[in-house]
Parts: sequence; structure tokens; C-alpha cells
Amino acid sequence: MSAERRSLLPTLRRLSHSQRGTLLAYVAIIVLFVIGGIYRPSFVRPDNIGLLLLLASFIGLVAAGQTFVILIGGIDLSVPWVLNALAVLLTTASLGQNSRAWWVVPLVLIVGIVIGMVNGLGIVLFDIPPVVMTLGMNGVMQGLVLGFTGGFTCPSCNSLAPPVVQGAITGQVLGIPTGLLVWIVIAIIVGLVLGFTTLGRRIYAIGNNAIAAYLAGVNVRLVTIIVYAISGLFAAIAGIALTAFGQQATLGMGDPYLFDSIAAVVIGGASILGGRGNYWGTIAGAIFLVVLRAVLQEYDISEAARSIASGVVILVALLLYGREARDV
Amino acid sequence: MSTTETKTDTELAAHTSAEARFQYYVAQNVPLLLSIGILIAMVMIYLILFVLTQHHLPGNFEFSTTLNNTMTVGLAAIGQTLVVLTGGIDLSVGGIVDVTNSLAAQMMHDSPGSMLEITLLVLLVGAGAGFINGILVAYGRLQPIIVTIATLAIWQGVALLILPQQGGFIPTGFTNLLAGNIRVLGNLPSSLIIFILLILLWQVLRRTRFLVTLYAIGNDERAARANGAPVMLAKVGAYTVGGIFSGLAGLYLAAVATSGDATSGTPLTLTSIAAVVLGGVSLFGGRGSAIGSLMGAAILTLILSVLFFAGVNPQLQEFFQGLFLILAVIASTLVRPLLQSGR
Repeated sequence: MSAERRSLLPTLRRLSHSQRGTLLAYVAIIVLFVIGGIYRPSFVRPDNIGLLLLLASFIGLVAAGQTFVILIGGIDLSVPWVLNALAVLLTTASLGQNSRAWWVVPLVLIVGIVIGMVNGLGIVLFDIPPVVMTLGMNGVMQGLVLGFTGGFTCPSCNSLAPPVVQGAITGQVLGIPTGLLVWIVIAIIVGLVLGFTTLGRRIYAIGNNAIAAYLAGVNVRLVTIIVYAISGLFAAIAGIALTAFGQQATLGMGDPYLFDSIAAVVIGGASILGGRGNYWGTIAGAIFLVVLRAVLQEYDISEAARSIASGVVILVALLLYGREARDV
Repeated sequence: MSTTETKTDTELAAHTSAEARFQYYVAQNVPLLLSIGILIAMVMIYLILFVLTQHHLPGNFEFSTTLNNTMTVGLAAIGQTLVVLTGGIDLSVGGIVDVTNSLAAQMMHDSPGSMLEITLLVLLVGAGAGFINGILVAYGRLQPIIVTIATLAIWQGVALLILPQQGGFIPTGFTNLLAGNIRVLGNLPSSLIIFILLILLWQVLRRTRFLVTLYAIGNDERAARANGAPVMLAKVGAYTVGGIFSGLAGLYLAAVATSGDATSGTPLTLTSIAAVVLGGVSLFGGRGSAIGSLMGAAILTLILSVLFFAGVNPQLQEFFQGLFLILAVIASTLVRPLLQSGR
């Protein structure tokens, strides 16, 4: 064994399963950029990297909420249509006018929080399994969007996002898309909340053992409601960001984000059972998914094959670092 | 909890009167009875609305259409049930349906040999897809929800490769066989025969060692293993047989639609879970039956008809389906203690 390996291996071994996952995801991103760059050097030009990171930010925002929920051992399947409903609310209430943006944007965020709270309340008060509660909520929001917009035929449905909001995501500061800066700020806040606040500690405690957390004095019900409310909030933020990026809200715009948000969390090394993982891993997962698809696109690989590749990659990531300990 | 169980058992042994036995059965099958109750209520509402709006009783056409729509969801829901009984969940159901649906529409010719061949192929593909899920869950020691979300993406991609544009062709003979009426039996819809056969099949299946092991795993996997139950094999079996039923759902969907679509099966992941939940199967595993899931599938189908005849904006369909799912689960949590406190 060479001297170099001897010094590296113990450090790697000291890392937890999920930390190794996060590390591997970041390494994989770099490898993907190299592969893409070899095929077409313009793939690694700063503007292309900036665009890919901006696309990753939408997954990253949704996945931030999903990270909170998965850390307590839950799951939020209502993301696609909560996001879509809030995007529609943004455009139809603001009618594309800057003068309305000041109250519409807070309104969208608050509605997102309320929807998330309803998810949490259902789970806490009636013992509804999270899968069922959020699945039902997804249908409810889908029906509401279709019903209220008459199948998206309403006159205000084609309104654009207010220019201020568009500018906040698609503008550039020193060549960096402002949407990316928003993501960086949010990432730091999420990282701090999970790592350095009592709420964060409580979330990990519940994810590791809800009963033990309860006995230790954690208000499990309250934290659960807060966590789902946070997920609703992030669906709202992602809805705003996506609408700003695409200028308009469209039907089904949230659909890809269910798979992607869960996949990003898992690729980042978090345990779907809760209690293990962090947002830095999720960020890696989000970027990885976007860059992987971009590279496959560079090689002219069809959408169907890209879907297969995404699935295989998740399985590989899981087999590498998502396996549970052997039961007695 | 365990003390009340044993008390009931001793009570049962003490006086096995028909009444006591009935009470015991009710207490043991609250969720199933609840879903049957909801189904009966839905049928009544449906009949009333139908007569009020159409001024005649629903005929054979309405009956067979409702049953045909129920069967697709029902087959997928039986597959889902087997997996849910072990405490797992199969999100790849929709993907497997997509693949088998596309396969059938792309490859089937108008000859009995081809129909048999494709049916067998579909069963094989379903079994294979489920087998992969099962191996990854049992021997890969991975969480079912995330394994099947990954295989869902894979099968959706595969389905698009098989049938890039919706279309294909299903011979009329095959559609008549699965979704038509059977002359010799007084024009009964064949879906009714399949429905009854599935219930009978379940009655046999649930007494087999395989199903008993699945229930044991769902109740307490560690205890099942400690008692020498072949936990790993049974889990792989649950996903494999579940995959076969998903495959059949895809075949049935193709027969009803008379053509194929690589994306039409995708919603079945969610509806199969909804049917299972409405049918009183516990998502935590170990409790429930496929009969309940079939009831759940029928309830889901009837909701759509009821909404239609009630003149509800069809765009609100998903709203009411979602709301109904949540309310049904709340109802079952509220009703269960009431029914069980009597014993």
C-alpha cells in the first residue's frame, strides 16, 4: 500500500455514510463536467455552467423543503401541484404588473406555508401516513388549479410574472445569474437552520427516533407541522423562481420536480428513513441531476434514455451508500 | 393492546355463539367492512343521481364500463397490496403498466396464438420488473419507496422506447375477450367474471404459506425472521407477483383503450395506492386484503361517475378524488376506536 493511500483511506473511513455520499456526488459532478468538456469545450464555459447551476437551483429549492421532510422520516408528494398552483397564483394575481408584486409575492409564500401546514396537521392530528396525506393534497391542488382556471383557459392565465420578479431570477450580477445568488443565500440559511439551531437538532432527533425525541421533550407534533410548512414554503419559492425564469406559469410545470427533489436528496447521501443527511448533499444531488442530463443531451441521447439513466444513477448511488445495516 | 387481544380469544373460546363469532369477525375486519360500507354508499348515490338525471336505471353498458375501468385500477391495486402488506410500497406500478401497455399495443396481432404469446410475454415482463424491485429491496437492503421511484423512471423510459408515439393496435377479439360481454353467460361483462375470479383467487392465495409469510413480515419482520420464515424470498416474491399484476393491469388497459400509450399507465401508481388505502389496507403493513383494494378501486371509479352525474365541473375531478382520499382515511381513524370499544 502506498503512503498516499494510507493517509487518505482512514480519513475516508472516518466519514459517515451520508458524508461519503455527499463527497461522491461532488466528485461525480466534476467528472461529468470533464466528460462534457471533452466532447464540447463550450460545455464548461462559465455562462453554460451558470445556466446549468440556475437550472439546478429550481430542483435545489424544491429539494430544500424535501430535505427537511425526509430528515424527519416523512415525504412530501404534494410538491408538483403545490408548486404549480402557487405559480398560477403568482401570475393571475399579479397580472404581470410590478405594482402588484409587493403584495402578491408575500401572499404566494404565505399560501405555500398554509398548504404545508395543512399537510402537517393532517399527518399529526389524524395519523394519516405522509404518503397518503401529501398524495391527496397533490390531487386537491391539481383539481383546484384546473377548476379555478377553467382548464387554464382564463383570460388572466396568460399573464406574465411581474418584471421585478423576473429580474430577481434572470438578472445578472458580475456575470452570475441572480437566481443563483438567491439559491446561495437560501442554501446558507438552510444549512445554518439544520446545523446550528435547536429546530435543526430536533429535526435530526425525530428522524433518528421519534419516540426517543418525544421522551426527551421534543414537541414532535409541532416540529412535524413546521417541517411540512417549510416544504410548502419552498414549493412556493420554487414556483416563483420557475415562473420568473419561464416568464409564464404552465400546466404540469411542477411534475418533474417530485422525482427530481427526492432524487436530489437521496443522491446527496441522506437516508430516506430520516435522521441522516444535510442540505449540502442535496445541493450536490440537484446539480448532479442537471449536469448528467445536460451531458447526455450533448451526446444526443433521447429523452427516454435520459429517464432510464436518471433511474439507474439513483440505484447506483443507493447501492454505493444507501444500504441499510444487516438486520439481526 | 395484547391483553385485549387475548381476552377476545378466551371469550371466543368460552362461548362460540354465532353472535360472538360475528362480533369477533367485525372487530377483526373493521377497515374492510368500512370500505364495503363506503362502496355501498357510493353505489346508492350513483344510482340515485343516475335515475334523477337520465330518468332510467343504468343498463348493461354503464355496468360494464364501470367494471372495466375498475378492473385496470383493481389489478394494479392487487399488485400494490402484496407489496404494501410487507410494509413496503411500489411506486413503479405506473411504469410497469406503461411498459406492458406499450408492448401489447406494439406487438399483438389478430390471431389467438399472438394474443396468448403477448399475454405470456406481458406476465414475464411484469414478473421480471417486480423481481428486480424485490431483489434490490430484499438483498440490496434499500428502501422500497426510493428503489421503486428509480425503477419508475427506468420503466417510463423503456416504455417510450417501445412506443414513442401513442397508437399501436389491439385486436378487437382481444378487447372483446377481456372487456366485452360473454354471450354464453347471459351477456355478463367479462370484467365481472374476472372480478369474481380475482376474489376467489385471493381467498385461495391468502391461505398459502407465501401470503401468511407476507402478513408476518408486515406485522414484525424481525419476529418473522426469528421464527424461520423465509423473509427475503417472500419479499422478492411479493414484488414479483405484484409486478405480474401490474403487467396484467397494463394489458387490460390496452384492451379497454384498444390502443397503447407509453404514458397512460403513469397515474396508476397513485390510484393504486389510493385504492389500497380506501380498501382498508394498512400502509404500515400486515393488515388488509386484496378484496378491500378491489373495493377501493371500485370506489375510485364510482366517484368519477358520481361527480359526472352530479354535474360537477370535470376539471375538479382530481380535487374531489384527493379530498375523498384524505377524508376516507380520517373517517377510518375516527370510526375504528368507536367500533372496537364495544368488545
